[in-house]
Amino acid sequence: MKISVNTEIAFTYLSARKKQTLIASLGVMFGISMFIFMQSLMKGTNDYFEKMSFNSTAHIRLFSENKVADTHILTSYLSDPSVKILTNPKQLVQTQGLTNPYGLIKEIQRNPQIANVTPQVTAEVIYTSGSVQINGNVAGVNIDQEDKMFDLQSNMIAGNLHDLNRVNNGLLIGKGVANKLSLHVGDNITVTSGSGSPTTMRVVGIFATTVKQIDDTKAYANIVQAQNLLGKDRSYVTEIKINLKDYNNAPAVARELETLTAYKAEDWVKANEQLKAAFKIRAIILNSVIGVILLVAGFGIYNILNMTIYEKIKEIAILKAQGFSGPAVTSIFLQQAIYIGLMGGLVGVICGFGITFMVSRIYIGAGTLKYLPMSFYVPHYLEAICFGILTTVAAGFFPARKASKVDPVTIIRG
Amino acid sequence: MEVALKATGINKVFHDAVNLQVLKNVSLEVKTGEFVSIVGKSGCGKSTLLYILSTMDTSYEGQLEINETNVTGKSLNDLARIRNESIGFVFQFHYLLPDFTCLKNVMIPALRLGKLSYKEAEARAYEKLKMFGVEDQALKKANKLSGGQQQRVAIARALINEPTIIMGDEPTGNLDSKNTGIVFDLFQKLTKEFGQTIITVTHDEDFAKRSDRIIEMADGEIKSTGH
Repeated sequence: MKISVNTEIAFTYLSARKKQTLIASLGVMFGISMFIFMQSLMKGTNDYFEKMSFNSTAHIRLFSENKVADTHILTSYLSDPSVKILTNPKQLVQTQGLTNPYGLIKEIQRNPQIANVTPQVTAEVIYTSGSVQINGNVAGVNIDQEDKMFDLQSNMIAGNLHDLNRVNNGLLIGKGVANKLSLHVGDNITVTSGSGSPTTMRVVGIFATTVKQIDDTKAYANIVQAQNLLGKDRSYVTEIKINLKDYNNAPAVARELETLTAYKAEDWVKANEQLKAAFKIRAIILNSVIGVILLVAGFGIYNILNMTIYEKIKEIAILKAQGFSGPAVTSIFLQQAIYIGLMGGLVGVICGFGITFMVSRIYIGAGTLKYLPMSFYVPHYLEAICFGILTTVAAGFFPARKASKVDPVTIIRG
Repeated sequence: MEVALKATGINKVFHDAVNLQVLKNVSLEVKTGEFVSIVGKSGCGKSTLLYILSTMDTSYEGQLEINETNVTGKSLNDLARIRNESIGFVFQFHYLLPDFTCLKNVMIPALRLGKLSYKEAEARAYEKLKMFGVEDQALKKANKLSGGQQQRVAIARALINEPTIIMGDEPTGNLDSKNTGIVFDLFQKLTKEFGQTIITVTHDEDFAKRSDRIIEMADGEIKSTGH
């Protein structure tokens, strides 16, 4: 391959000043590796929290919302504005259940974007064991579907969740409930709902999520058991949980489902607004840190090139006297910046990966979180290289332009 | 004989605090193969003229033709190309690039021109170094040589692209008489055998006297063209 003379000169200058070249590329290296590390940490944490939120929240929840009576039917008939209507809005009396839930589920499943649909019956209950009573709620679910959608299995700390299908009155209870009532797998527990009669159930499993409030109150039962607890019939379903193939489409699909079913459809974005806000704040903090690091690295390159040009101004004049044009001189110095950037970038990518890998092995041990969640996401590495090159080119551009404008006559004649 | 360089009505004014006209309506013509010395007292404008003739200085009035092509008003990039191809420059100081070997220093203008392959340029550079008897220094860094050797390498560098015109700004100003002799003989050989044109500015009277023609300058004007 033919190496252009500009490249050759750029290389010679770089290797003649090894220490400075090294320091400049170290600056870039730190910038790039921090960039990768920070991005990996951010994406890892965000993914983790997102996944955590999907462990307890469906992408979309469909339920019947209490409505307050309004007057819109009347106003549309009374177009005369001089007629005032006095009303006393009251909560509508209606059941919590959805009408024809299984029909709805069939209808919902026609939407090609939907991956999983499962009905749930939620019952507010009181757990009693011996003389101790605590409040809680029982989710009546199809446990296989539930496991598929929310990966319950990963939260199990004792028992087997599939026993819910085998044991007639089985119950999966949270770790907090189990501790407070001193229950183990195989023990009996009395569950009382507001509308049904007390039922004795058997603990078939204990789970622990990262959310204490859930562990302290929640239990899973078979959907039929939950209906029995409430004294309701088999068609009583309080909500339908829906998972999509791509959860980012949830808001749009939720709107569709609302018009389709006339029930309230809440997507995960709405249900987790604080999570989204946290993502945004984290992104801003990390990006500004990365920005500062790259800026500092850029200034390093700028300084070193500026000094080089100051030192080599006679040589630049001579090169110009020998027929190097302005663009050729720009190319010589810009190339130096680019090679510093490439070198630092390459080492930085490797270091970034190394740091990310090592940090991902740091034991945290909080809740179900054992190790720091780090993501190894290839686009981060590509972005890092692009940013590194962008920074170095920007930093090298001004000194290089200055070099190209050197007037040989003034310099040589002194 | 062909005209290598022709300057017509060159005027130059330095706008430094007061306007100082350093060149007053200078016209001159140098034929191909001529060895011309420009002499005159310090500050008579001879160096200024040389830098204008070399195309490096572009702020002047008048017209300059090199190899019968008008170069006045051309873009800086075009001028760089012309310098690279047709003008070799030798300065009072060697101005070699200290980070490069002598060989590389000589090769760089050839590589810039890009007419020769790397191998050919290398061979040519060796050949030029040999002409000046410094081929054994070829692989040393330029700053490791003695002053005389450095200047000889610098002249070899000026010749690498076989330019039609070689310009010297006191090319022997820093050399002892022995080295001056070597350089002079080579310059003469270049004009006689290779038909190259040489224009030098010099203080060295002996050097000037032995050249083909002496142009005398005083106060920004040409006193005698030596014809």
